Amino acid sequence: MGLLSPQDEATLKQHLSAITLPVELVLFTQTFGGSESGDVAKQILGEIASLNDKVTIVEKNFVLDTEDKAKYKVDKAPAIVVLSDGIDTRMRMYGAPTGYEFVGLVEAIIVAGTGKIDLDPETMQWIQAVDTPTHIQVFSTPT
Amino acid sequence: MAAANPHITADAIEATEFMDLSRKYRVTGVPKTIVNETIEIMGGLPEKMFVRAALDLPEVSETPSL
Repeated sequence: MGLLSPQDEATLKQHLSAITLPVELVLFTQTFGGSESGDVAKQILGEIASLNDKVTIVEKNFVLDTEDKAKYKVDKAPAIVVLSDGIDTRMRMYGAPTGYEFVGLVEAIIVAGTGKIDLDPETMQWIQAVDTPTHIQVFSTPT
Repeated sequence: MAAANPHITADAIEATEFMDLSRKYRVTGVPKTIVNETIEIMGGLPEKMFVRAALDLPEVSETPSL
């Protein structure tokens, strides 16, 4: 049984129809010793990917795939790395993307899939002026 | 922000899943944003306020001077 209702699926499919670039969701999970949220994350990503041919999932093992873990600087699981046409967007999600976090994931997919960032031009200027490493961590919960 | 600048990385973290991190950053309410281990932003803010706070930009008075 899917996590998304038929109505939610239709709405999501409509939003994803704007995607023109391939979006790869690289999912790191831990088979042994990992939490159940990895399975939930996998199910959610599967349902999203089923709604648009340009969205694909690549599964990685958090323990065994050390090269990819280092490449994407992933230090905890489950983790979702969002790629836009093969390029790292530097957007990460840690934990199962449920509730409010699901909205954030969909927005990240749309940014990655359209290349469009819906921010005020002045805000974009501030952001694009950043020239030092800046690590942003946003903590939230599903509800 | 991360998609707009290669110097920026952005992590969305489920607070109840990663309790060690939540304790480390004293996450008692969400959303809570940590930037470069030093800047803390509690709650949600309008776009410009959030970006100014996250990038530690000076406040700009909206009131025109006489």
